[in-house]
Amino acid sequence: MTLVRVLFYFLSFIAIVSALYAASSKNLVRSIFVFFVTLFALAGLYVLALADFVAVTQIVIYVGGILVLILFAFMLSGKETLNVIKQQNSRIISLKTLPAILLAALFFIVLLNVVLKADADNLPWIRESISLKNEITPNAIMIDNIGVNLMTRYLLPFEAISILLLMALVGAAHLSRKEGKA
Amino acid sequence: MITLTDFLVVSAVLFCIGLYMIVSKRNAIQILIGIELILNAAILNLVAFGKYDKVNNSGQIFALFAIVLAAATTAVALAIILNVYRRYKTIDPNDINKLRD
Amino acid sequence: MEDFLHSIQILNYTVAAVALPLLAALINFCLPAKSKAAGWISTGAILLSCILSAKVFAGVWNNHEVHAQHLWFTIGKTEVFAGVLLNNLSVLMLLLVSVIALPVHIYSTAYMKNDDRYNRYFTYLSFFCFSMLALVVVDSLVLFYAFWELVGFSSYLLIGFWFTRDKAVQANKKAFIMNRVGDIGLLTAIIILFAQYHTFDIVQLFAEKGLIAQSIINNGLWVGPTGQIPALWQYVACGGIFLAVAAKSAQFPLHTWLPDAMEGPTSVSALIHAATMVAAGVFLLGRVYPMFTETELTVLAVIGCFTAFMAATIALTQNDLKRILAYSTISQLGFMILAMGVGAYASSLFHLATHAFFKCLLFLVAGIVIHQMQHIKDDNELDIDPQDISHMGGLRKKLPLTFIVAIIGALALVGLPLTSGYLSKDGILIQAFDWSENRSGWFKIIPIMALLTSWLTTFYVARLIFKVFFGEFRLLKSNPDIKLHINDGSWQYKLPLVLLAVCCLFPLFSLNPFSFEHAWLFKGLKSANFVESESIYHTFIPIVVNVLSLFVLYAVYAIYARPNSFAFPQSGFLYRLSYNQWYIDDIYKRFIVKPVLRLGSVCFWIDRRVIDGFVHLLAHVSGYIAKLSAWADQHIVDGFLHLLTRIVQRIGNFARKFQSGKVQYYLFSMLVIVLLLFVLKILI
Repeated sequence: MTLVRVLFYFLSFIAIVSALYAASSKNLVRSIFVFFVTLFALAGLYVLALADFVAVTQIVIYVGGILVLILFAFMLSGKETLNVIKQQNSRIISLKTLPAILLAALFFIVLLNVVLKADADNLPWIRESISLKNEITPNAIMIDNIGVNLMTRYLLPFEAISILLLMALVGAAHLSRKEGKA
Repeated sequence: MITLTDFLVVSAVLFCIGLYMIVSKRNAIQILIGIELILNAAILNLVAFGKYDKVNNSGQIFALFAIVLAAATTAVALAIILNVYRRYKTIDPNDINKLRD
Repeated sequence: MEDFLHSIQILNYTVAAVALPLLAALINFCLPAKSKAAGWISTGAILLSCILSAKVFAGVWNNHEVHAQHLWFTIGKTEVFAGVLLNNLSVLMLLLVSVIALPVHIYSTAYMKNDDRYNRYFTYLSFFCFSMLALVVVDSLVLFYAFWELVGFSSYLLIGFWFTRDKAVQANKKAFIMNRVGDIGLLTAIIILFAQYHTFDIVQLFAEKGLIAQSIINNGLWVGPTGQIPALWQYVACGGIFLAVAAKSAQFPLHTWLPDAMEGPTSVSALIHAATMVAAGVFLLGRVYPMFTETELTVLAVIGCFTAFMAATIALTQNDLKRILAYSTISQLGFMILAMGVGAYASSLFHLATHAFFKCLLFLVAGIVIHQMQHIKDDNELDIDPQDISHMGGLRKKLPLTFIVAIIGALALVGLPLTSGYLSKDGILIQAFDWSENRSGWFKIIPIMALLTSWLTTFYVARLIFKVFFGEFRLLKSNPDIKLHINDGSWQYKLPLVLLAVCCLFPLFSLNPFSFEHAWLFKGLKSANFVESESIYHTFIPIVVNVLSLFVLYAVYAIYARPNSFAFPQSGFLYRLSYNQWYIDDIYKRFIVKPVLRLGSVCFWIDRRVIDGFVHLLAHVSGYIAKLSAWADQHIVDGFLHLLTRIVQRIGNFARKFQSGKVQYYLFSMLVIVLLLFVLKILI
């Protein structure tokens, strides 16, 4: 049991538990803030998967962007939203949520089944990658490589994504403007 | 050493939780959170597999793309939620079952 | 060539004479009900017919026969011709019918003038004239039968002219049914003749050297030029013709309709039931005369004699004026049949002609008397039968002209010298005696009964005349305060009477008032082999008849015309027999009408119970089947449909639930399906 492994379990535990809490919580504010925790834990997991750049991006964009955006939306939508939600049944497993829980559980079983059957660690291309030393090692610095790849190999998707992002932002701004003034 | 399977199991758990949220929640914002969870589960997978591609970094790069897309998606979705709220005074998707005005 | 043109002209005249009354009938039929024009249209038509008939008569009488025909229709290889046959017999009848019809028409214009259905009356009358005129000139048995039926039909219409009277309806029904019996006989005879000779042509059949004349009955076979059939058929055919004659000419046993037919207007009785239509039977006999064998003629003679005698005895006691005349008609027709039977063919037709005039005259007289009695009844609101002679008497002063012509008619009927009746009747009597001369003793009964009948005739005629015109007016005796405004009537009454009265006298027929053999009519009709016998009867019979007739006349005068006279006992068997018309009607009622009615009611019962019951049963059964199928339709077919619709509805509702518009639900469903696919993938 290495430290990394412990750390992985710890972070996984935090992510899963916080996600569960976010799912089960009736309180939207709590749900949002617990989702912060999940995202941080996930960022940690990315680091453990040797993708530190992605982890940083996750924190910057998700925590810094999306969550703030959600909070704004929540605050803009006003008090009534909260009231409506509070009137709901407080039990976690209610008759209404039971099918959804069952569905999620069944899906989990299926996915688990698939994951175990797939035996991802022994996939041919992964074995080949290990044998060719194509595996990212913990001490390798990948940021240069990512930057080069973004600007060369993945330039077209990159540009497409940037345009899409622009469109989404313009669209969001358009949608959320006050009506009647258009 | 952390194996791929570990990551996959964790992402599966997160995926299922996101699924549950999407299906059962009565609040559009919580549903959005569910979607984000599913996306994060997917990104986790991408990142985990990307570990075995040192040269092209396709996993990590697409994880980045996915994060950016998620941000865009969230922005648009929130704009929509705000509009819906303005119109119906609710964000319960079950009450919003009409396409027409 | 001239002959040919002459024939054409005569044929045209004939056709016109026949068709004019039909035209009048058609015009009258279209006129409004009370139009007075109807009478004059019909009278004009019959006047023209009369003139044309006279021309035809002049052209054909004792001249050559005119016979024209053309193909009517063809059945298989049998060609049926229709045409006109004019010989002495038919032109005589043609003239007779139109001449008798003319005064009757004139008379009717006055007699019927207050009737609501004036134009309908003349329609019928003209139609009758048309039928009768056509009947006498056609040359085909088929056409003959058709017009025979039409004559019967128009008679039916006219008897029942006052159809609101129950008695009139009963009478015309009776006449119609009785005539049907005869019609069936005639039809049978025609069919048999056609079967034997393959033709309907009267000339071919009954001419002097025709098919009938060439046929003989031999060893039970009836052998003709065109084949042979059992002799039985010949008897059946003659029997059929006899039935037809008996029905139309009111011979025993089919005579009972004629007295009842007096329910029709008196003018109709005069024309149809005294002068013309009833003569159709005798005319038929004249047409088919060669067909009868010696035996059959004897039967005819016996029946004619019996009818004459019976009707005369009945006429003795009747009180209804028209009924007496009706029985007298039957009696005289019996004389004609008797004459036919004894071979006095010419005398028979001679008597037919003379009888037509004087009987028509007597009926018109009766019509006037009844008319006046009706006036008295209406004026004084009495409840009497205007036809009952026991109310009458002494009318000679009120109706002088009527009285005179009545006397002439009566004398002619009695057959006293200087009248036409004398000529024809004595001819019949003399020839009857001649005929019996050559036969055994029993046959003597026939002429003797005829003789007796002629005295009976004298009696009832005299009784009628004396009761009506002599003595005192009996109605005045029982109702002293009644007013009498009666007279002979207008010229429309008088003219026909005078015309007919003149025709009843001898000069029209013979310049020698004492010898029938010198009558031109007799000469024209007698067969070539008639031998003028110079037997004792020629002088003996007329003397005996007339002297005794005079005695009878005086006796009757003594009985009826004198006040406080002797009255006959009215309770004897003979009286009752006569008064009840020999109970023939009763017998018919008991033995024919009642069984027929009973049979009818049995049939009705069977129809009602068995056939209708069966039909009802069928109806019920089909009703139940219908109900069953309705039930099946409702519950099984419809039920199946309802089941289908319900299933579809359920499916629809079920499917609709998925279309809730709830996005999460859609997603949920989708995921469930994905899961199911996984499960399936794992399982398979």
